[in-house]
Amino acid sequence: MEIVKVGMAGTMESSDAIVTIEPNTDSGIQIYLQSSVEKQFGNQIRSVITETLRALDVDHGIVRVNDKGALDCVIRARVQTAVLRASDGGQFNWKEED
Amino acid sequence: MEFEHFTEYRISLNNKKEVENIKAFLALHGLQLDSDVEYTVGVFDGERLVATGSICGKVLKCIAVDKEYQGLGIANKLVSHLIHEEYQRGNTHLFIFTKPENYTMFYELGFHKIAEVPNSVMLMENHPAGIKNFIEEIKKQNKSGQKISAVIMNCNPFTLGHLYLIEKAARESDILHIFVVWEERSSFPAEVRYRLIEEGTKHLSNIVLHKGKDYIISSATFPTYFIKEYQRVVEIHASLDLEIFRSYIAPALGITKRFIGEEPYCPVTRTYNRIMKEYLPQKGIEVVEIPRLHRGENAISASLVRRYIREGDVDKTQRFVPKTTYEFLTSVEAEPIIEMIQRDDHRH
Repeated sequence: MEIVKVGMAGTMESSDAIVTIEPNTDSGIQIYLQSSVEKQFGNQIRSVITETLRALDVDHGIVRVNDKGALDCVIRARVQTAVLRASDGGQFNWKEED
Repeated sequence: MEFEHFTEYRISLNNKKEVENIKAFLALHGLQLDSDVEYTVGVFDGERLVATGSICGKVLKCIAVDKEYQGLGIANKLVSHLIHEEYQRGNTHLFIFTKPENYTMFYELGFHKIAEVPNSVMLMENHPAGIKNFIEEIKKQNKSGQKISAVIMNCNPFTLGHLYLIEKAARESDILHIFVVWEERSSFPAEVRYRLIEEGTKHLSNIVLHKGKDYIISSATFPTYFIKEYQRVVEIHASLDLEIFRSYIAPALGITKRFIGEEPYCPVTRTYNRIMKEYLPQKGIEVVEIPRLHRGENAISASLVRRYIREGDVDKTQRFVPKTTYEFLTSVEAEPIIEMIQRDDHRH
């Protein structure tokens, strides 16, 4: 999926995360992560973000995540929704989610 | 205390009673409700207002949480709400002007420091690389030279006075960078102001035009709700704007001189210029003040031009503006702008 505008999903309430995705003028994915559990789970959260983007075929974009202790499934859902909002009317096959 | 029973509720800014409630709450926190807010939300515990926040353009402002209710995640709820509202409005790059002591709270809410005037104000943005990207953008127009200068202008609209200042500054420089104030608080839209400067300065080869975007802060959008000493508002605004200029913009382009127009009338601009002469030389930037250009007994100014427009005498502006500006003023495109100037009386 191609990121063509700014897409955002989530909140900063406890156990949630807010995810913003925007087009990248350079190529590739750039992730800015800020997390209340950065020390414990920073790398895990980054890999969930990267995996989710890969599954959606997002190759370029700037991703900003402000995490307030969200579980992996929440982070994945927020990233997916932000990507859909940032792409141009792409279809998403929700059924394929495990 | 249960988290669930907090409700968020949009305040109707036409409803006097609701607005009074917000104002009284802010007053308890040493804040005011700025008159230009476009959207205000309240968080309630039952009937009791426990937090509020507002939006004006891309700025979040007038945010306060009841002391008794701090540490419950209400600020997160409130700022999330405001960010979503901004997103709906198409604003994704957001700013907060706040007291420096609130840094940690807003940092945790995803805001990053741009610049600070100690003990007075800090400007923050919700993008970790916002100003860095802006600097990268203007650096693309970096040109080498011995004497590199800058002017910052609103040009509402572009007059012979502005042209005079630019020509004089360009003569005394190898490269002159011109930053156009980008906030839409002027009668003439930013794109029009930019275009008129561009068209009117075509004969000059050593100037570079920039869109001032989000990092040139005009006094018109500088919020004042958190500043107690009202007489210091102008100074604090000037200090913040000049801090960004001297710490980010000037070093990026190697600027060593800033030209300003002399200000005989407006006390706000005069104060601004005075602060500039304190602030910029500290970082090795010289400030050069250029006297106004006169036509007969009139000092040429954009406000004079707008006054003639307001009075329906567009013809009379011909003596004060470059040909390109005059052509614009008499074009079809200018009609709605002229109508607007004639309809309302605001200063900018």
